[in-house]
Amino acid sequence: MAISKVTTASITDADITTAKLAYDAAPFRNIFINGDMSIAQRGTSQASITSTNYYTIDRFRFVDSSLGTFTMSQDTDVPTGQGFAKSLKVDCTTANASPSGSNVLQIQQRFEGQMLQYLKKGTANAQSLTASFWIKSNKTGTYICELRDIDNSRSISKSYTINASNTWEKKTITFAGDTTGTLDNDNKVSFDIQFWLGSGTNYTSGTLQTSWDSTVNANRAVGQVNLADSTANDFWITGVQLEAGTTASDFEFLPYDVNLRRCMRYFERTTAVGASDNYVNFASGLAQYSSGCVYCFLWKVTKRANPSMSATAASTFLNENGGSFPAGTSISFSQINKTSAQCDVFSSSGITQGNGAILKSNGTFDAYIDASSEL
Amino acid sequence: MINTVEKIYNEYGTSSGTFKVTKQDGTILWVPNDEANTDYQAIQEWIAAGNTVIDNGGGE
Repeated sequence: MAISKVTTASITDADITTAKLAYDAAPFRNIFINGDMSIAQRGTSQASITSTNYYTIDRFRFVDSSLGTFTMSQDTDVPTGQGFAKSLKVDCTTANASPSGSNVLQIQQRFEGQMLQYLKKGTANAQSLTASFWIKSNKTGTYICELRDIDNSRSISKSYTINASNTWEKKTITFAGDTTGTLDNDNKVSFDIQFWLGSGTNYTSGTLQTSWDSTVNANRAVGQVNLADSTANDFWITGVQLEAGTTASDFEFLPYDVNLRRCMRYFERTTAVGASDNYVNFASGLAQYSSGCVYCFLWKVTKRANPSMSATAASTFLNENGGSFPAGTSISFSQINKTSAQCDVFSSSGITQGNGAILKSNGTFDAYIDASSEL
Repeated sequence: MINTVEKIYNEYGTSSGTFKVTKQDGTILWVPNDEANTDYQAIQEWIAAGNTVIDNGGGE
């Protein structure tokens, strides 16, 4: 057939599939950030976890309200031949086989409402969502995956089963679109997804809520096994994807640098870890006082919100100025915003007011300064 | 869990819009006045629970 005879009508829409296209039809389709667990700015392992916080792998929040003690780590145990290099591992180190009613154990990621407006939630055109992930544990049985609309206190839960002990399995779960409750179009938390790992009866005593509705705690995690019931229990997860639609596409691998910068919107660590020299330059500034220097930190990525600041002890830094290298005795932050912050580091002596200054790690690889605007 | 919250002043003696938060585990955070910051939200909840921010005033 001559090419001129091929018209639009010759090829039906159904014949044009993603697999046949030479480009990715839906870049950045994965709502999760760091779903391949490749970024771990806070470090690769955290032991003795008994409370909720962000540990190790970026963007994944570990929720533990008094249900066992865990080590969370970035691990190299991954499903074979799938392209993943890292997984998130949790290891129960102190068991709690009899949870109290309010105990919760989850891996969670939270999302800004402004990032999810395209889901058209709360309208007649609300998008379905499909979660896909690889998972492995010796603790087989029923697990719960839950989506929550925090703005409108609505949720939906679906169960899945880990069938074989210590074997990587891929799970795919589709959630209907929610025609009720629009998400706020702002930078605050509007939506989250929970991978339940254990629960008290406050969250299991009802009937699992498998359709979108107002959140009823008793219906959120019905049937969930307790990963905290033995110190023999381990759990791995990687390749986590949540996307609009009713089918799971292949995992969307992003370049490492793109992944890192997406994480840095929420957390950025300036650190000496991994440097070749343990006197690492952190920032340049000025000896504004006779006893202290002022530095300006400019973030590599604009933050979601004005970030909270924290740092290792002042003594892990020094104020290089005019050929003098006094150790820090106190450190503080001010004028914190989405793009920068002021850092003041004082020393007991060795500073000449007016000198230019460089903030350096004080002969240690363990110095760091954190800017966190996590959800 | 928050232990203390102190209002921080800048070198000009005016409010820096920052709070120094000391947690019960000894962790120290400098938290900006931003209602989208979750640590700032935690300060507001802590105040609502009857706690008081330390304010030593500005100036040298």
